[in-house]
Amino acid sequence: MNFRTWVGAALCAAGLAAGAGSATAQTAGGTLVYIVQPEPPSLASFLSTSGPIGLVAPKIYDGLFDYDNDLNIVPALAESYEVSDDGKTVTFKLREGVTWHDGAPFTSADVQFTVMEVLKKVHPRGPNSFREVMSIDTPDDYTAVFNLENPAPYMLRALSGYESPIVPKHLLEGQDPRNSDLATNPVGTGAYKFTEWRKGQYVRLDKNENYWKDGLPYLDRIVGRFIPDASTRTAAMENSEVMYGAYGAIPNIDAVRLRDMDGFSVTTDGYSMINPMALIEFNTKESPFDQAAIRQAVSLAIDREFLIENIWFGYGKPATSALSTNFSATGLYKAGLPNYPANADVDAAIKVLEDAGITADGDGVRARAVLDLIPYGEDWRRAGEYMKQALAPIGIELDLRYEDVPTWLKRVYADYDFQINVNYFYQLPDPVLGVHRHYGSDQIRQGTHFVNSSRYSNPELDALLAAGAQEADAAKRSEIYGQIQEILAEDMPVVNLFEMQFLTVYNDKLKDHATSALGAYGPFERVWIEE
Amino acid sequence: MAFWKLFARNRGAVIGLVILVLITVMAATAGLFFPQDPFSLAGQPMSPPGENGFLLGSDSLGRDVAAGIAHGAKTSLLIGLLATLVAVFVGIVMGALAGYYGGFIDNLLMRLTEMFQTIPSFIFAILLVAIMKPSIESIVIAIAVVSWPAVARLVRGEFLSLRNREFVQACHTLGMSDLRIMLGEILPNCLSPVIVIGSLMVATAILIESGLAFLGLGDPNIMSWGFQIGAGRTLLRSAWWVCTFPGIAILLTVLAINLVGEGMNDALNPRLRERS
Repeated sequence: MNFRTWVGAALCAAGLAAGAGSATAQTAGGTLVYIVQPEPPSLASFLSTSGPIGLVAPKIYDGLFDYDNDLNIVPALAESYEVSDDGKTVTFKLREGVTWHDGAPFTSADVQFTVMEVLKKVHPRGPNSFREVMSIDTPDDYTAVFNLENPAPYMLRALSGYESPIVPKHLLEGQDPRNSDLATNPVGTGAYKFTEWRKGQYVRLDKNENYWKDGLPYLDRIVGRFIPDASTRTAAMENSEVMYGAYGAIPNIDAVRLRDMDGFSVTTDGYSMINPMALIEFNTKESPFDQAAIRQAVSLAIDREFLIENIWFGYGKPATSALSTNFSATGLYKAGLPNYPANADVDAAIKVLEDAGITADGDGVRARAVLDLIPYGEDWRRAGEYMKQALAPIGIELDLRYEDVPTWLKRVYADYDFQINVNYFYQLPDPVLGVHRHYGSDQIRQGTHFVNSSRYSNPELDALLAAGAQEADAAKRSEIYGQIQEILAEDMPVVNLFEMQFLTVYNDKLKDHATSALGAYGPFERVWIEE
Repeated sequence: MAFWKLFARNRGAVIGLVILVLITVMAATAGLFFPQDPFSLAGQPMSPPGENGFLLGSDSLGRDVAAGIAHGAKTSLLIGLLATLVAVFVGIVMGALAGYYGGFIDNLLMRLTEMFQTIPSFIFAILLVAIMKPSIESIVIAIAVVSWPAVARLVRGEFLSLRNREFVQACHTLGMSDLRIMLGEILPNCLSPVIVIGSLMVATAILIESGLAFLGLGDPNIMSWGFQIGAGRTLLRSAWWVCTFPGIAILLTVLAINLVGEGMNDALNPRLRERS
């Protein structure tokens, strides 16, 4: 038997030492106030991957792993793991002596329950990440054996506290996880304990004195403030009321200005696992976007470079396929696909519409629709205003609709009461984790956020997606994803706009906040504030 | 004309009227001077005033600030007038009924009015618009709902004082119907203060609309000054012109309406006729 074995404890210590390797010694104590924007609908990271939840919940819940900035696995609740030769059995050795914030011990039963009963059932991406997991055996309290139907190497990239938070079985068992008290009163094993959530103002987490990493966290408290107004957020950063704002909390225009000031820095680190993509979702079951031609025309009529330059101040890269160019490292990205111009091609768009027999009425209008927008800030509103202007010349007349986060999520993902929706998705480190959920028929899951809201269903594509998920050979896998991208560039149930580059703005006194590949979605256990 | 003479004695009021007329003309001719949709991406984004063919500069998407101001004038005046008309109408009905009949009806209507008055008006307007979804109708309704109580109280006071006057009693003796007395006899005698409060209310309505649009609760499909300021405020330090000019437009309009209102007060209020 040839096991790929890897002992975590030593590496963990090494990782800690590396983190501590910076020139100054860490100061313990202090409160970190950071921006959480917008206010999260709940703190149930096991139910929703909505961005603001990710800014808070991973500080409370641990995953089996964390990841360093080069995407290497760093042990968290799992001390080590083993993958069998055939790739169908993955054994996790769990950390002993870890307790939940309420004092109950953490065991393998929690892992089994979390994956089988929660993540596989109600998490937006869990059914994909754990699609091959048939059962989990718990031979003892600190061993969890995942039995897979097929090898699933991508699963090991989806075990962070953000992506797959381990939740307490004793508090959720026998309840519907969708309606549990845990959503607003989370209990985890993480570095910080949930203390208080004052609606409309802040969420406060206090240091977990019994955290399993000795001597950590350094901070006594972290407070996530909700500041709805963008310029107020910038002002709060400037006068040090807050020290950290990620995921565009500080608008790019101000980030660029703060970057040039003393005492503040801007980084694009901490987003390597996220791979964000701005995009348009269409309701493919309703007129007018039930025809592929009109969706293609939308893609052709949008000037992606204009969006990046004028709304995101140069941070971003035009999308050229269903997959981000970041997947070229693994050979999965396919270049040279049609319908993805960097600059608008109005003539081509009109030609597509004319060829499909979508003609203009007396006012030059071919289709009318309401555009919904992700309510995550001013930039998106500008993008919506731009879209309205950009689609008018090809005869698509849009009305804009702005709603708050819960209403919008319900409209798009539960009621399907939308026609065209501007949004962004995380493509994550593997397409199985981040991209399949857009397109698979099995991802039409009413009520689950950030999945196939287009209700696009194509058996040929489903077969390719299934093959792509299981294929171990890199060349074959690349070919499969090539075909997938070709189909999607024609059908376009989702039109990708541009690969986003998020900015994190921080006060220079804040140290070691980017030690995890998850950045702002990381556990923040090693963050400290210089006096 | 006596009214004009009295009005023109207040020089501020005349200046206000001139500004107001200019703004109305601007709103009426917006389509002539700026035939394009004010949301259209007219050219180079973030152009300073006077450059790239933008009189007052362009915003982050290259929309013409001057076109936005001209078209926004239409929105602001329209919403101001409509909301005021609705508020004045509701206010007169409530106030007239309460003042004329007194007693139980008065009690009921005035408690209702007070209920509305105790809620801070701007916050109430935000709430209403958020519930009804931002659109021009919901904004007009919201502004009217928060504005009518002032009119109702005023009209009630006037009716209370007028209903026992001899000319009203004479009407009663002549057998006139209540409705006719209210509309034909009392109301014309208390219109002056209503006109004054109504004109000032237009200014408040414009401010509320701008405030709502600034907070992102304006109708996203209609250009307004508040929207321009809201969209430009993140750029304040790098493109001052995007918010500044619409801000000046709001300032001038509200000031002009207030001056005109003041002038009307002088002209219509007999007690102030001797004021210089």
